[in-house]
Amino acid sequence: MRKYLYIYKSEVMTNLQYIVDILVGFISYCIIIFIFLNLWNYIYSDPSELINGYNMNQMIWYVTITEILWMSISGRKLCRKICNDVRSGNIAYNINKPYNYVEYSLFNHLGVVTIRFVCVFVLGIAMGIIFLRSIPSLNVLQIAGFLLTCLLATVINILLIVAIGLISFFIEDANPFYWLYSKLILVVGTIFPVEFFPGVIQPIIKASPIYVVSYGPARLFVNFETSQFINVIVAQIIYLIISFSICHFIYSKGVKRLNVNGG
Amino acid sequence: MLTAVKNQIKVSFLSTRYALEREMLNKVTFITNIIFMILNNSCFIVQWIILYSIKDNIGGLGFKELLLLWGLAAGTFGFARFFCESAFNISDAINKGTLDNYLVQPKNVLLSYITSTVQVSCLGDMLYAYIMLFIYGITVKSFILFTFFCINGALIVVALAIIFGSLSFWFGRVELVADTMNSLMVNFATYPDGIFKGIVKILFYTIIPLEFVNYIPIRLIIDFNLNSFIIVIAVTIFFISLAFIIFYQGLKRYSSSNLMNVRI
Amino acid sequence: MAVITVKNLSKSFKVKTKEKGLKGSLKSIIKTKYKIIKAVKNISFSVEKGEMIAFIGPNGAGKSTSIKMMTGILYPDKGSIDILGLNPVKERKKLAYEIGCVFGQKEQLWTHLTPYDNFRFFGAIYDIPNSRVEKKINELKELFELDDFINTPVRNLSLGQRIRCEIVASLIHEPKILFLDEPTIGLDPVVKENIRVLIKRMNKEYKTTVVLTSHDVSDIEKLCKRVIIVNNGSIVLDDTMENLKYHYLNKKIVDAKMKEQVNLDDEDGITILKDKGYNLKIEVDTKKKSVSDALKLLNPDNIIDINISNVPLEQIISDIYKEGDK
Repeated sequence: MRKYLYIYKSEVMTNLQYIVDILVGFISYCIIIFIFLNLWNYIYSDPSELINGYNMNQMIWYVTITEILWMSISGRKLCRKICNDVRSGNIAYNINKPYNYVEYSLFNHLGVVTIRFVCVFVLGIAMGIIFLRSIPSLNVLQIAGFLLTCLLATVINILLIVAIGLISFFIEDANPFYWLYSKLILVVGTIFPVEFFPGVIQPIIKASPIYVVSYGPARLFVNFETSQFINVIVAQIIYLIISFSICHFIYSKGVKRLNVNGG
Repeated sequence: MLTAVKNQIKVSFLSTRYALEREMLNKVTFITNIIFMILNNSCFIVQWIILYSIKDNIGGLGFKELLLLWGLAAGTFGFARFFCESAFNISDAINKGTLDNYLVQPKNVLLSYITSTVQVSCLGDMLYAYIMLFIYGITVKSFILFTFFCINGALIVVALAIIFGSLSFWFGRVELVADTMNSLMVNFATYPDGIFKGIVKILFYTIIPLEFVNYIPIRLIIDFNLNSFIIVIAVTIFFISLAFIIFYQGLKRYSSSNLMNVRI
Repeated sequence: MAVITVKNLSKSFKVKTKEKGLKGSLKSIIKTKYKIIKAVKNISFSVEKGEMIAFIGPNGAGKSTSIKMMTGILYPDKGSIDILGLNPVKERKKLAYEIGCVFGQKEQLWTHLTPYDNFRFFGAIYDIPNSRVEKKINELKELFELDDFINTPVRNLSLGQRIRCEIVASLIHEPKILFLDEPTIGLDPVVKENIRVLIKRMNKEYKTTVVLTSHDVSDIEKLCKRVIIVNNGSIVLDDTMENLKYHYLNKKIVDAKMKEQVNLDDEDGITILKDKGYNLKIEVDTKKKSVSDALKLLNPDNIIDINISNVPLEQIISDIYKEGDK
């Protein structure tokens, strides 16, 4: 475990120098939030009106949080890196190393995400407060709970993207799969809470990764309920185990294939 | 003069053709790029279906009209980035000295440069634009107007990209400003202007002139009105002229300036 | 008849300076400091029709800046340029029809197209009718020996082949003057030699005036009758190749590794630069002593490894300065 923490730490240090780039990326975040602010302002005739159980401020906070989670992941970069590692044969070097490629990728990328998350989170929350002049009232314990679900959401998200990247063991290019995944999260998971979708597909969304990587934490932020918190955590732990196993499964299958084909 | 214009068009056409051929070398990538762009755009229909299930008029547009707005936005940015992709990288070209190659040619530097690359995925945008028009309801009149406004809007978008990019002649590395302005345009363009208020509205008529790119054209396709039509054309001519003036002023400065960025 | 006349040409650049470290970075954001670099200082020269002239000098000496001013890419701060009776600042487009340019470090060709298609494209840029382009391509194909690869996409060509194509592309419109900025940069000696031969042949065939820059003395030795050496933006020498050879290129550096220690004394025509017993570095003045005579002094059986080279350009330049001081 110590070596993974070390990998994580050195990646955090490396990424400190990219803070300016992150801040630049924040501009597009601002634009999106600003547009949604206007959009919901227009749709809600009165801020206290409830649409599918959410008032206007809650809707905007929801998008703020889901966008923070999505922006800090920087998933395309991760997927591309994994694909390149597989295709260039770099991964073969990792086979002999005294660490596991999946864990290595996870901790390495967590280092990237940490800096991004801290920057975007602070700025995003600040922007929300400026625009809305209010913030959902959470106590210290609830904030800790919320942050825990954010952490788990991020880990699961990274593992799922690693799994997608590892598909390139078997097919030419895994990037289209990543693209599909990202669209799914963005269109179904970031803009609207589950409750906005037709009743028939709500259970499907709740069972999908969207529930654990974006809806769960964001929903807790806008309206923290202990029972909901337990639901989210349980679901996240299940998904963590599943995604972790999938990664190892694909990786071991892929490495076998690599050995047979000689890379 | 006329032959000069003819020759210039011939060269620009040739360079667009060659740039397209370059992108078509890998057929699979070429086609996936286009298809994924169409799918990408289509995804956002989900968002609008949900929004329109809450309210059936958003910012003054019904669902079908919104699809038309999406189509026109995709069309204008598609045309712009397909034919004049390099216009969006002017800043970089200035800083890296790429313009030098065009300066020793006896052709219009700006036109030769902006037509030197194409963005293939934009073919997907263009196709998508016409799919949206088809859903909205295609007639001879709407087809002609739609195509006209796609090209017209593209001209404004390109002119603005040139203006923002040309800032690099004066301020050096300002890709960031240019990129931000360009992405502002794209992000706003797919939302009805009716949802915005105050200062944003003013911006839509000035430095991010989306009113003339998309919003007024949409109203004109729905209900034609000669006055607005003429205003849109006048504004387009204004922005194109402004782009040329600013670029050539900048170019003069580039040649005579003592600022050495990367180039030696 | 002079085709290029340059008088008192000057150009300076402002370069941002930055102090070291994070503090320096922050400081430079608030207030940028500039350092003025005089890239070209008051240079004058003229070039006759059909002449081949070389600008040589170390990197950053002002060669490229001069070429850029002559071709209209940059405007001079001071001084005047007359190219074929045209002013590059005011008549850039007109001038473009009359000159050809190859920038060794900037590709002009479309890499996915064949050289042939590229040449056709350049024909269109210079408004040349198709029939004439065809004729010209055939002519230049012969001259530059492009037959083997004229229909191979440029990206599959070797660097040397590419440069040949770049040169041909800039000759399609029959320019009167050809500017070659570092045409042989990054090429291996054999290919370099080959390019030189072709340029020479082209100059003979078409009487095209050629202005080329290089930081490699050997480039010029075989190519040009006249050399202009620039350093720090000024012309330090404008002379015939013959004179340059006689005065400055007559020295060879011999670097030898010996089996046994040699005791060599300074004598006429030989200067010992370094003597570390087994490793020896001497300068031979070939006017006074031939290289082979010098080697005899070393006893050829005693040599393990030997390297004979020209005096570096920097050395020549400093020699010229010293000469001036006297």
